[in-house]
Amino acid sequence: MALLECRALNKHFGGLHVTNAVDLTLQPGEIHCLIGPNGAGKSTLFRLILGEHQPGSGEIYFAGENITSLKSFARIRRGLSVKFQVPGVFKGLSVRQNLEIALQSHHHGAALAQEIVGLLDFLGLSAEQAQTAGNLSHGQKQWLEIGMAIALKPLLLLLDEPTAGMSPEETHMTGEMVRRLNAEGMTVLAIEHDMAFVRQVAQRVTVLHLGQVFAQGSIDEIVADERVAAIYLGQAHA
Amino acid sequence: MSAVVSLLRRLEGPQTLGRGRGFWSLFALVLLGAVAFPLLTDGYTVGNTVYFFVWVFIALSLSLIWGYGGSLSFGQTAFFGIAGYGYGVLTINFGADYGFTWIALLIAVGIAALFALLLGYFMFFGRIAGVFLGIVTLAVTLMLERFMAQTAGPEWHIGSARLNGFNGMSAMPPLTIPWFDEPIVLFADVGLYYIVLAMLVIVYLALRILMNSSFGNVIVAIRENPERAEMLGYDIRKYQLITFVIGAALAGLSGVLYTVWGQYITPSSMGMTAAALPLIWVAVGGRSDLTTTVIGTLVVLSGFQALTIYGSQYALVFMGVLLVLTVLIAPNGLVLGIINWVTRLVSRRKQETA
Amino acid sequence: MDIATLAFSAFYQFGDAFAFLVLSACGLAVIFGMMGVINLAHGEFIMCGAYVTAASVHAGLPLPLGILAGTAVSALVGVLVELLVIRHLYERPLDTIVATWGLSLIATQGTLILVGSTMAGVGTPFGSFQVGAYSYSIYRIVLFMAALAVLGGLYALFNWTRFGVLARATIQVPHMAAALGVDTRLIYSLTFACGAGLAGLAGGLYAPTMTLVPTMGATFIMEAFVTVVIGGADVFLGTAPAGGVLAVVKSGMTSWQGQLFGQIGLLVAVIIVVRVLPKGISGFVLRERT
Repeated sequence: MALLECRALNKHFGGLHVTNAVDLTLQPGEIHCLIGPNGAGKSTLFRLILGEHQPGSGEIYFAGENITSLKSFARIRRGLSVKFQVPGVFKGLSVRQNLEIALQSHHHGAALAQEIVGLLDFLGLSAEQAQTAGNLSHGQKQWLEIGMAIALKPLLLLLDEPTAGMSPEETHMTGEMVRRLNAEGMTVLAIEHDMAFVRQVAQRVTVLHLGQVFAQGSIDEIVADERVAAIYLGQAHA
Repeated sequence: MSAVVSLLRRLEGPQTLGRGRGFWSLFALVLLGAVAFPLLTDGYTVGNTVYFFVWVFIALSLSLIWGYGGSLSFGQTAFFGIAGYGYGVLTINFGADYGFTWIALLIAVGIAALFALLLGYFMFFGRIAGVFLGIVTLAVTLMLERFMAQTAGPEWHIGSARLNGFNGMSAMPPLTIPWFDEPIVLFADVGLYYIVLAMLVIVYLALRILMNSSFGNVIVAIRENPERAEMLGYDIRKYQLITFVIGAALAGLSGVLYTVWGQYITPSSMGMTAAALPLIWVAVGGRSDLTTTVIGTLVVLSGFQALTIYGSQYALVFMGVLLVLTVLIAPNGLVLGIINWVTRLVSRRKQETA
Repeated sequence: MDIATLAFSAFYQFGDAFAFLVLSACGLAVIFGMMGVINLAHGEFIMCGAYVTAASVHAGLPLPLGILAGTAVSALVGVLVELLVIRHLYERPLDTIVATWGLSLIATQGTLILVGSTMAGVGTPFGSFQVGAYSYSIYRIVLFMAALAVLGGLYALFNWTRFGVLARATIQVPHMAAALGVDTRLIYSLTFACGAGLAGLAGGLYAPTMTLVPTMGATFIMEAFVTVVIGGADVFLGTAPAGGVLAVVKSGMTSWQGQLFGQIGLLVAVIIVVRVLPKGISGFVLRERT
């Protein structure tokens, strides 16, 4: 059974057809990348999956359940999690507290303290745990948010441009992090522009263009596709 | 037993200032001073100090909803008034026997909380936030004030309690403890002082525990980044509603205590100026911390009263100036700013001598 | 009483309510709509206009000039307030509310101290006329005309003048406007001054009909806020139709149950609209348009 199934999703903003009859299916354990030129509707698709927007038509199934009419927090509770493009950490609170808030719905007492330590370690942020999250570097903020997203041990992790603003080394480390999470069973759907990252992690790739699914396949198939290169003309990254 | 211990451990935490031996020794000292205070001064000063204590609850309510929760509510004075009038109506109709005044207190606060439940449900589950939350709560407060202000005729009554329009309701019985021969009537004097002080201490400690718990964590998370909080699986509407209702109960408590302190309540307690005052105390004190809110409220209130005695008309002007300056210069609160500045100086001194 | 007299009475009540709502609101709408700033001192700008108008008339100026003086002084005070306070708070909308509330407190108390608890008023000009069994004040009709003129003037200002176009550009995309050489600080000052001036105009126009007390701003502020919130951010797509709708609500409820219920009707309306149409009427219209 597919973990995520988007069936014929449509979304209009005023006169703009931002999501056009999009079908997307994710199998459990997959790492799937969503690419496409700016304005293709990738972030909108994420927001539809998360419940921040309601589709004009179409349905979303998660682990066999129709979640189209569920509120965001209800979807999160069923095993979805997201890391947004702009780091959405709790800037005024400490790193430790950020993670505590993410973990406290699932753990309590001594177990909670243990989980926090473990997660800080995984993210490489143990030394910064007392720091105010707003003072972290951009890359560290991204990792902290990924940490908060995975703290929920989600079935499906949505990453919106996880490596935006990162150096090549940080990008590679993020790729390794994603592959480690996937090895433990997490399904990942990532929006990315950085082709090095996509090559490092993706098992399957969907290309969006003008709100529609333009192409789907393995990373090699997509890179070889001339039509994909054409729509990307002027945005060389590979 | 371990449950009690873990509860007490929550007295300290990320959401409240003050931890360790130093802080709690200071707290004990202040408490001792407060307990001994009536023995050192006259009845009038004691009664006056009770008056200050009464307002701390509504300040704490604003601190909770605005400082910790990030929602600016102008509705606190509405709950203040509802509970105050509620107490008046109940006790004028049913009297003070058999300890009814205490039941009336609970019911009145309950009515305010119920009203907050309805209004809050409407607002938070309707995703009203930010500026618009302020506007809706302001509209409710004004509506209530206008309504109460025109209830002057004899046809405006609940049972035998006349609402009395602009002149307000008066002559309701103060808090009365039923006792063997003669009930103890708590006028604005030493007896009431200790009761209110006890309430203050209990509420303060309880709020510390609450805000340092996982509930408090979610509340500040919602303030910092509501979208992120929702994406961690929290139904933020529920948390905002609960905070709003607790806040309303606190504001209501202020309302009832005010009414029993002076045995009157008027619509002007729900007017624009009355609604501005808690804002000033909390803004000056430092809304995002319980302790600075309490300190700020007491300091500004006593300052305001001193000003009113010496230069009556200028007092409100000064309050307005204080508010504007605080917002411009120390948006996190003057008291909080001073404490932070002092802590920085102390830690710098420590570093230099280390 | 025949239909014609009833109809006239209804239309008169509507026009009266409409004028009051639009005139109280347009200054606030300009500031909130264009700058996102909630000015809780709006009522005090109105009071300023009213007081200056009354003072000018007592000093010998004819009423129209007095009203102009009121408008000008309010606008100047607006420039000062923007410079000293509002300018520093653009990033913090909730703090702007609190700060302007403080200003409101200073203004009302300050006026009380400086001028006293009341000020000698100005008589209502033009007298009245009869329709059926009732007499109506001519001045109220003048006010209705004034409201329409103000709406027209604002439209012209923001759509046809250089200032208006620059102001809209600056407010929508400030860094772009700055890149094009627009002095954004000046635009903010002038827009705020415009809003303050409009408030002063409302005060001046209504001065002959009211008792002048330092807290008179409170009479206007609630209705102004209700109109702006229901109307949404656009003055023309929002404030005007909101004024129309609310005028119907207010005059209807007032004739049915009296003044108080008219006001309560407005408050209930704002609560419902905030819930149902969060961006107000203009937000709804703009969304449907695209």
